[in-house]
Amino acid sequence: MTDSSPRRSEPARRSGDPDLAVAVEGLTKVFPVPFRKKSIVAVRALNLQVEAGEVYGLLGPNGSGKSTTLKIILGLISPSRGRTQIFGRDSSEVATRQSVGFLPESPYFYKFLTGAETLRFFGKLCGLRGTNLTERVHGLLDLVGLTGARNQRLSTYSKGMLQRIGLAQALINEPALIVLDEPTAGVDPAGSRDIRNLILDLKKRGVTVLLSSHLLEQVQEICDRVGILAKGELVREGPLDELIAIEDRTEIVLEKASPKLLKEIEKLAARSKAKVIERRTSTTTLERLFLEATQESKSSAHHAE
Amino acid sequence: MSERLHRAFSPARISAIATNTLTELTRQRVFYVLLIFALVLIGSSVFMARFSFQQEFQILKDVSLGAMSIFSSLLAIVATARLISQDVEDRTIYTILAKPVPRFEYVLGKLAGVILLLAISIAAMGVLFAVVFYFREQTVLNETAREMNRGPQEQLNDALNAIRVAGLNGDVFAGIAVIFLKACLLAALTLLVSTFATTNIFTIAVMVFVYLIGHLEATARDYWLQQPGAGWIARGFLALVALIFPDLQAFNLVDDIVAGVAIPVAIFTKTAVLGIFYIVIYTVAAIFVFSGKEL
Repeated sequence: MTDSSPRRSEPARRSGDPDLAVAVEGLTKVFPVPFRKKSIVAVRALNLQVEAGEVYGLLGPNGSGKSTTLKIILGLISPSRGRTQIFGRDSSEVATRQSVGFLPESPYFYKFLTGAETLRFFGKLCGLRGTNLTERVHGLLDLVGLTGARNQRLSTYSKGMLQRIGLAQALINEPALIVLDEPTAGVDPAGSRDIRNLILDLKKRGVTVLLSSHLLEQVQEICDRVGILAKGELVREGPLDELIAIEDRTEIVLEKASPKLLKEIEKLAARSKAKVIERRTSTTTLERLFLEATQESKSSAHHAE
Repeated sequence: MSERLHRAFSPARISAIATNTLTELTRQRVFYVLLIFALVLIGSSVFMARFSFQQEFQILKDVSLGAMSIFSSLLAIVATARLISQDVEDRTIYTILAKPVPRFEYVLGKLAGVILLLAISIAAMGVLFAVVFYFREQTVLNETAREMNRGPQEQLNDALNAIRVAGLNGDVFAGIAVIFLKACLLAALTLLVSTFATTNIFTIAVMVFVYLIGHLEATARDYWLQQPGAGWIARGFLALVALIFPDLQAFNLVDDIVAGVAIPVAIFTKTAVLGIFYIVIYTVAAIFVFSGKEL
């Protein structure tokens, strides 16, 4: 993708508002390609607002600019144009990170540290000390279900465990905003379900969550609003229900309906000029089936013991 | 939610990064270098028991201080080269810098961790050397006292004094302090190179090059300046070379110590100030480069 005239989306309305967890205004990021005249535009004239307390999903295919946007919001890279704010303060200020937690995509932590040591290290970076730090580490290990593995080195952790310790470190400073880059990538369905439950729990506690993902079904379950990025531009944005609703269609799910009743419903619909588009037996999702099956085998193994 | 105040500079955060760096290096078993040093030291002291005590003490100092200098330089370069690049490669750096940690604190923490490692290693090598040396000195003193037992007291005292003069003295420790400074300087320069290098191999290759030039440049400079017509251009060029490539020969006090020449306080202070000057310059440059780095 080369730099060309950007198609601008709607400008931010409440720049500098401390009630906005994240405000991105006219953000453009251009990466120069060494030894070439060309440059790569990763993000183009992006405007984005995340309200305090909501779960916002930034969606898009690989290379659409999701991670770059998150890194700029966190001050890890600088924008070529435009600006980003966290709770009304410019995100290039290190102090803004006092209220932010971040879990990068497929994180690697220091393999030579144990789970508890990892959390202690990140806690110290956030200014936690003494009993306060010890209690926080203990509480978070419990929250992410790693109390039993607290003294195990990270080199022995599975992918799912690493993701959970990653979430715990992101929460160490009790952030008001948590940024998650592909939080369920590479995690099995059960681990992924745990992470989603944790995100919903954070939402209940008033924490703002900004996450990026390309696993759309998972996002659908937890996000209040989504923005879809394509080639660095925001192509759709809005509340999830509104975006995915098909306005002139309605679904009725029936239980124990006889073939006679179904026929009558179809006749009724035809009489009122409505059209039955599809009639099928309800199915469960493959994920739910997987979770139930693995849960059953776990509990039968448990009984056998 | 957290309402803690953010401090623009926090020694506690630097200390957390430094301790973590030290733990990382320790758990990678870099201290095995010390075992090699112990073998060199003990091996050479056994071998040298055949020489006269002056020769033995001289060789022991030469071998030990030389090994200490090489091992600590090697440790400084190899341990530092991968610190930042590994964090970038593993993306650990994102989690650290997404916390309220200014970039200069991250660089200072990493350097402090390596300096701690060097201090512990050099202290351990120094203690080992001092213990081995002390026992050899005591053995020689006892043997001389036994051999000259029947001779005049004055002669015995002279002989024992000669042994003590050739033995351990403050200059040896001044020499070890300078070796430590040289290792810190190499660590700071390695950290600077690693902030813009793309691979560890590049950093180590550049540092080997710097190490060789650093040891040879003094000889080359003396030769050049003695040539007729060496004007201000040559002097300016040499000053520039000296800034980019530290004059490592200036940190070599081992030859004087071995020869038994007392190290004047002025020379020691000058060397120490030069070392600290280089360390500060390289660290500031590393912070400057790293602060502008896109991660």
